[in-house]
Amino acid sequence: MTHIIFDNKQIELEEGQSVLSVLLDKNYDIPNSCQAGVCQSCMMQAVEGEIPVAAQAGLKDTLREQGYFLACSCQPTSPLHVVAANDVELKCSATVAEHTLLSEHVLRLRLKPQSDFVYRAGQFINIWKSDKLTRSYSLASVAQLDEFLELHIRHIPNGKLSSWLHDEIQIGDELNIQAANGDCFYVPGNAEQKLLLAGTGTGLAPLIGIARDAIAQGHKGEIHLIHGVRRQEDLYLHQTLLDMAETYPQFHYDTNVLEADDNRDQASDRSLQQHILDTAVEPVQWKAYLCGDAAIVNSLKKALFMSGMAMGNIYSDPFLISAAEE
Amino acid sequence: MSSLYERLGGEAAVDAAVDIFYRKVLSDDRVSGYFDGVDMEQQINKQKGFLTMVFGGPNNYTGKDMREGHKHLVERGLNDSHVDAVVELLGATLQELGVAAEDIQEVADIANSVRDDVLNR
Repeated sequence: MTHIIFDNKQIELEEGQSVLSVLLDKNYDIPNSCQAGVCQSCMMQAVEGEIPVAAQAGLKDTLREQGYFLACSCQPTSPLHVVAANDVELKCSATVAEHTLLSEHVLRLRLKPQSDFVYRAGQFINIWKSDKLTRSYSLASVAQLDEFLELHIRHIPNGKLSSWLHDEIQIGDELNIQAANGDCFYVPGNAEQKLLLAGTGTGLAPLIGIARDAIAQGHKGEIHLIHGVRRQEDLYLHQTLLDMAETYPQFHYDTNVLEADDNRDQASDRSLQQHILDTAVEPVQWKAYLCGDAAIVNSLKKALFMSGMAMGNIYSDPFLISAAEE
Repeated sequence: MSSLYERLGGEAAVDAAVDIFYRKVLSDDRVSGYFDGVDMEQQINKQKGFLTMVFGGPNNYTGKDMREGHKHLVERGLNDSHVDAVVELLGATLQELGVAAEDIQEVADIANSVRDDVLNR
């Protein structure tokens, strides 16, 4: 007999009873469906204690690493402190250390958190302007390499948060940020696997983070980063990425430009989708990370899956723009 | 004698079948339209649940779940021809994985046993 801690209460478990079963018995409204460890709708997160192996069967490695588990298949044998998924609210304050434009519309914001801030490159954090207003931005920095958090903020016309960050925030200001989230990050364990990192616009931020993280963790397999932009002028950190490709033989960088903007600049001769399909020629050998515009990310995901890539090897972070600001 | 689920290879068989099966469903014009705009990862999880059930594996799906899960699709015209297509694609998936004909028939029988619930009849 053991217990779980949930909602600030200690709840006793009967022999062999699942976390889902005991919480439903106590009238907690926990989402669930199949109760057989398959549909994953009862996913929760453990913040302390040992998670039984069976409770993480079928979960992506990135979710397992963060302590997510399925409540229906979780029969703890020792005390376990659990919270609802996405209920890990750890706000902290961070100081603006750098505020520079990377291109006409993209701001590089570097922040120094005032307490230890745990994250994985490629995850996103929320920035709060007030109690009601928050937006998510992906991390381009790598915890083991950088002392700051780096975000790339595209200025969205009429965007409440991006306008504020671009026009009003200055070096030395303090921002309220919230714990990193998302399952788009590098997990060591298969150093030879080929990695495809593709995205549009500021989807480049998490992709750079993932690439640097993978290299720092000794990834040996090919890493192909493809940055899709509307026009040539939207490319940013171009020279940095070219330099990275010079330095690290396993790292390859390519761009895909949708529109020609004058006689000088040319559009790419193939679509971003064709470009990534041409790159991942034997899809079963690849793992893909897709970030940026939601519609494009979702169609790239479908195209890669249909070409033969395993769904379990496709990680994506579709950026959603707040409905009021579209 | 081993159960159908054990003969097919249990959870590993579900994992091996799900991507192949879902790819077939998405590329078949008879049924692909019903999957437009759905979240692919959530759908993969649902497909795993479905395959576990028709493989005779552990599940707690009820007739009520089947009815509620497909009600909006029945309103959009889901009928016997679509269930037939899905059963056919399921058979083709298992054939590709080298499953014996009798076992494929048994899987098809389980799938057909929930036909009326799926179609809300």
